[in-house]
Amino acid sequence: MISLPMATEALAAEKLFDLGPLPVTNSMIFGVIIAAALLTIFGLAARSSQLWPKSRVAYWFETVTELIKGMVVDTFGGDEKRALRHFPLLITLFVFILTCNLSGLLPGVGTITYNDTPLFRAWTTDLNSTLAMATLALATVHIYALKEIGARGYFRHFFSGNLKNPMNIFIGLNELFGEILRLVTLSLRLFGVIYGGEALLSAISVLAGNFGWAATLPIMFLEIFVAFVQAYLFMMLTASYLVMAVSHGSEESETHVVQPAGAKG
Amino acid sequence: MEVDPSLIKGLTIGLGAIGPAVGIGLIGAAVVGAVGRNPEIQGKILATAFIMVGLVDAVFAFVLLILFTTS
Repeated sequence: MISLPMATEALAAEKLFDLGPLPVTNSMIFGVIIAAALLTIFGLAARSSQLWPKSRVAYWFETVTELIKGMVVDTFGGDEKRALRHFPLLITLFVFILTCNLSGLLPGVGTITYNDTPLFRAWTTDLNSTLAMATLALATVHIYALKEIGARGYFRHFFSGNLKNPMNIFIGLNELFGEILRLVTLSLRLFGVIYGGEALLSAISVLAGNFGWAATLPIMFLEIFVAFVQAYLFMMLTASYLVMAVSHGSEESETHVVQPAGAKG
Repeated sequence: MEVDPSLIKGLTIGLGAIGPAVGIGLIGAAVVGAVGRNPEIQGKILATAFIMVGLVDAVFAFVLLILFTTS
């Protein structure tokens, strides 16, 4: 009987050691390394940034930042002030997720072992970390909505119309449920796509045997594409949630000027 | 009755690929039509299309996830 190979990776990140009561897993270690590297390189770029950049690092990073800023401002319907308020979070999410997605394809990640557990594991192939990022993004959305349209507007965002009508209550409960579902989809999508891709890579390389290096090459390119799409998607969905959080319910408050929501996705 | 697990895996990936394949096909058709109608906003259309492709792709990723993590 032919049996397909199992993925060599475990579904959950493996524990390496305990730091007090906190079990430190391999994905946490690699995530911290990636974060430190990104902070260093962006800090260097920011320090050498000037009106007429002479440093190449600064030039490239300014270009990337400008590109992402354009996308974010587009999502906010051209409202640059509001877009720039959330820009730091959004660009951090994009760059960090993208680097973590791509880091899973580096040689040595998942193959260097220490006491039979892989020493490194891409940060986004762990459901805990994607759930943490989704929680952070959605908490920002809700706190921003509360600050922007107030507690009443926030409540009316879910329960709109006449509250004596049971249908409106039902719709509101559905909206609340959808809010929880957002958390699940946002985290599970990123985790599923990146983890599925890595499991696919290892399964293909086992199936191809000696020609694994050739067989995994097309999948590699697919993975690079998917890494970009998923990072972009996470950022854009967070941005459009931010836009949507204040676009409804604010019809009642006259003081708040409603911008047309250029929400996509 | 003993069912070969390979058969189940093959059916999982085969049936699970139908939906996302149709979805991406529809997105592609819509993008081509939209770009043909107003080519000047091609960038915006493509950005939205990539978001949609990512959303549809996730469904297939779940199939792969289930396929590779069950024995």
